[in-house]
Amino acid sequence: MRESTIMKIHYGTALAAVALVAVHVLMRLTQSFAESLEYGNVIANYQFLPYAGMLEIILILLSIHGFNGLRVILLELKQGKTYEKAVSYGCLAGMIGLIAYGSRTIIMVNMGMI
Amino acid sequence: MEPHDENKEGIGGMINPRRYGIERVAYLLMRLSGLGLLAYFIGHIYETSSILKGQVGWNEFLALTQTNEGHAVLAIVIAMCVFHTVNGIRVMLGHGGVGVGKPARPDYPYEPASQNARHKIGIYSAIVLAAIAMMYGLAVMFGE
Repeated sequence: MRESTIMKIHYGTALAAVALVAVHVLMRLTQSFAESLEYGNVIANYQFLPYAGMLEIILILLSIHGFNGLRVILLELKQGKTYEKAVSYGCLAGMIGLIAYGSRTIIMVNMGMI
Repeated sequence: MEPHDENKEGIGGMINPRRYGIERVAYLLMRLSGLGLLAYFIGHIYETSSILKGQVGWNEFLALTQTNEGHAVLAIVIAMCVFHTVNGIRVMLGHGGVGVGKPARPDYPYEPASQNARHKIGIYSAIVLAAIAMMYGLAVMFGE
């Protein structure tokens, strides 16, 4: 993929994530901070489908943005065909792994598999 | 002639905030906050997965984070998040050609048009907003 396309994705995921993370943080402030983290409240959040969907989207957006940012930093430090491929595929693997791990939590709690 | 690496300073050169003004400091802070937020995000995903262990597992993990140290770390995360967001918007606008000035003939003292007061104000605003958000976060977390 062209670097210019990757940077457009990087900026797009950033803007979308800012909006959705703001909603996620505001949800913590609808009640006291400690109260919002109580087990029952968190389970209720996960089992509310629109909110769970939003968490999944945030997970995907931030994983893409975060691991692409890491890739950019690592490519600024050192260059070389093998190194660049290793960094790009390593970051892609990290991104997929984190999305899979986070999705597992969201799906299992949403479906009541705990 | 042997090929050689021009990037002689390596990480030391990359993290050196001197020589190039506040723009260089913003460059360094942007990368540090990005790495910090990625580390927090991975930790947050791991932390929230403890809910799969039921109420006991969730409360045990929550007890680890709901401490003074945990709140202090969260306050730093809030500051990093706000700085990264505000400075990121400034960088995006700059890449889009907003606020970087008009192209002109380079004359002495060769001051880059893009490193102007508007962008410097953007960087200082990001730092100030991050500090305010961090104070607000501390007030919310320790105010209970």
